Amino acid sequence: MTTTMDRRRLLSTAVLGGAGLVGATALGSLAPEAAFAADARAVEPGAPDPDFAEGRISTISGGTLLVTGSDGVLHSIRVTDGTSVWKLHPTTFDQVAAGDGLYARGVRLPDGTLAADSVWVNIVNLHAHIAGVGRNTLHLDHKGQRIVAHVVPGFSAAVYNSTPAVSDLSLLKVGRHVQVLGAWHPDTNEISVATVYAAV
Amino acid sequence: MAALVGEMSWFCCGNAWGPCGSTGRGACGTCNSGNYQHAWPNASAACFTITRPDSCGVSMARRGCGFRHYTTNLCNGARIGTTIADCGPQTDLFCGERSCCGSACGTNRIIDLTPAAYSAIASLSSGLRPCSVDIV
Repeated sequence: MTTTMDRRRLLSTAVLGGAGLVGATALGSLAPEAAFAADARAVEPGAPDPDFAEGRISTISGGTLLVTGSDGVLHSIRVTDGTSVWKLHPTTFDQVAAGDGLYARGVRLPDGTLAADSVWVNIVNLHAHIAGVGRNTLHLDHKGQRIVAHVVPGFSAAVYNSTPAVSDLSLLKVGRHVQVLGAWHPDTNEISVATVYAAV
Repeated sequence: MAALVGEMSWFCCGNAWGPCGSTGRGACGTCNSGNYQHAWPNASAACFTITRPDSCGVSMARRGCGFRHYTTNLCNGARIGTTIADCGPQTDLFCGERSCCGSACGTNRIIDLTPAAYSAIASLSSGLRPCSVDIV
């Protein structure tokens, strides 16, 4: 608990103080799996998490994202040098654009701003059936919707059963059920594939 | 009662953007991506006939909407409490699938967490992680 409070105070300081923006990286709370074991505010099972936000980016002003939640709630999300940003792959804040969808996790500051530890931009995790396979594309049936999933050479990978991720997606066949982790192309029915999980 | 060990993933529900916009509030009618909730393969008899964890050799108790489970990410030991809000994952479609972090492994999909819950114990970009599920 001491760790939680120390970290919360440090991150708040980092965001609220101008010079502290760089200091946020010193928290060591970025991409590694260990970051998610570091702390979490006590939230009752079933309840909403105040340190989490989702929605679409309305505007970007400096390091602040103004986000309209899917439920209509407005969020101010502050990104620091210490925030990990994912958009198909780990990337930098300059790749984030207005209109993007996101999930964000961080620390809710007293003024309501969410100081972000992690931002996942346009991330989707779809369970679907493969309806068609084309050159560098998969056509997916997802809850009655057709999704066009683009394979991105150098980034897209497949996990077959228990195997390590491989770049060879040739084992994906029409009719297979798959889980596709990827990045949505805003305002389309298209995504880019990060990882396809398939049983073969 | 021993913890159930397997795999966890995440799913979106409730108000949402993109392809998630069509997912609805889940079998219990209460599911929201921002809440600490989860899908359970044996949330009802009707649910069980779809997910069929037994076909993968997984035995899990029937527990209905609102029941609390506690999920531990076996990669980092982080733990979270969530309530049942939907039916899933469809365990039988990935029978025998195995995820590991070093020597910590889980076989077969046993739980899907909402983005808020999953991201509290793992990165959403990890997609799939070994886990244990308990009731206390």
